[in-house]
Amino acid sequence: MRVDVQGLTVRYGSVTAVDDMSFSLSGKKIYGLLGRNGSGKTSLMSVLAGYRKPAGSVELDGAPVFENAAAMRQVCLVRHTPDAADKGDKVSYVLEYGAAWRETWDHGYALELAELFRIPLKAKAGELSLGQRSALGVVIGLASRSPLTMFDESHLGMDTPTRYAFYDALLNDFMAHPRTIIVSTHLIEELASLLEEVVIIDAGRLVLQEEADVLRSRGTEVTGNAADVDEFTAGLTVLSEKSLGRTKAAMVYGTLDDARLIRARQLGLELGPIALQDLFVHLTAPVGGAR
Amino acid sequence: MKIFRHLTTTLVTFCAMVAASVFAFAVAVTFVVSAFSDVEISAWNVVTSQIARWFLFWVGIYVIHNVLPIAVAHGRTRREFLVAASGFSVVLALAMAVLAWLGFLAEGGIYALMHWHADEHGTPVAYFLMFLVWCVVGMFCAAAFDRFGAAGVFSVPVGLASVIITTVRIPGSGNLPFIRNIPSLLGAGWHVASVAAFLVVLAGTWAVVRDMPVRVRTS
Repeated sequence: MRVDVQGLTVRYGSVTAVDDMSFSLSGKKIYGLLGRNGSGKTSLMSVLAGYRKPAGSVELDGAPVFENAAAMRQVCLVRHTPDAADKGDKVSYVLEYGAAWRETWDHGYALELAELFRIPLKAKAGELSLGQRSALGVVIGLASRSPLTMFDESHLGMDTPTRYAFYDALLNDFMAHPRTIIVSTHLIEELASLLEEVVIIDAGRLVLQEEADVLRSRGTEVTGNAADVDEFTAGLTVLSEKSLGRTKAAMVYGTLDDARLIRARQLGLELGPIALQDLFVHLTAPVGGAR
Repeated sequence: MKIFRHLTTTLVTFCAMVAASVFAFAVAVTFVVSAFSDVEISAWNVVTSQIARWFLFWVGIYVIHNVLPIAVAHGRTRREFLVAASGFSVVLALAMAVLAWLGFLAEGGIYALMHWHADEHGTPVAYFLMFLVWCVVGMFCAAAFDRFGAAGVFSVPVGLASVIITTVRIPGSGNLPFIRNIPSLLGAGWHVASVAAFLVVLAGTWAVVRDMPVRVRTS
């Protein structure tokens, strides 16, 4: 499913959560929506899901989503607290809601996932732990098989084995049923291998939209003799530096041209990739400091 | 249609079960009271004229506050939901009015056997309209508070005026202060006023819900 956002603005009183944002997603990929706390991720996804009326244009496959029955049927947004569940309802009842109301719902798969995440079907949604509630949201999101499925911090409270089970289930189901999936997370490195394209937003504005592999290639870790590293990185954007004795490692941002690569070889420096998470930190405003 | 079917099958069934339980409780209380004094009022009339309307009011709140966000989260539009909820309110009010009437029939039989006296109760139409308007007022107030927060309090006078109209033709539901002779003046015209109140409040609910944000902060 193709997603087109043009001039989208979301305001809460005097606070602007999303500020004149425009981008397009071609679809049938797993997208990472990355941003710091309060950057506007949840507001953006809420508009994409038709939870609120957009100021600007939000279209799915060329059709506006808000109050458009055909478009809304194609979307599922899952946050850490399942939106499609009432706290007083039993889990089995919550899943039956999905089966009753969603044409694309796979109930057998929902029950299979509930067992995988060890969610008791007879328990009420409000009685589940935070991790179990998150897992219930994941069950709803995956079993909905919606052409546009969004997970907004859906891993909150999950323990590590459950998160890994979620990532495996997400990838396997995407391979079996390709669709547009948007995942918002702060655990970037855990999910990095799943992401095909990354959208980074900050302070309600689009910072960058890039293929994940292309983005990774923009950062390089340079390791070697401290003096050589300093000479090599002079004039480059250095994200961070670490020293141990006479050895130094520096993370630099930006594509290295052939001359630089030859110089690195001459100096005997090691060049390696850097983590997506480190690039993200560089591209968004650091805590209490300048970018 | 799916939303309408869901609301009617689950909530009407639930409401019927509650009504049956309350009827059994009311009869049991009446027997207990009869051991100490003469029975001169209909316990079921106390339930239907006083308690049931608040129950219908709560159902209206539940439908908008709890079920609407779930429907939107499952890819349904507010318009689809409002169409279903409007139809549901009529079906629920009708079902509850029928249950109230059946309760009066059953209670009448018991009272006749026991030689007890029952006071006057309203007509099925009056109960239907009362239940209908109270349910829709619950929806309207829930929508107003969910959308506007504390400013939703401005929906209360509208709701209050609407529900008072419906109780005029229900004996035992309380008299209007200062204007006690008005019910007899207007007669069955109050039913028309109740229908008008239903339409006004329903239109207000649609206006508030039509582009209401759900599951998000509103300010």
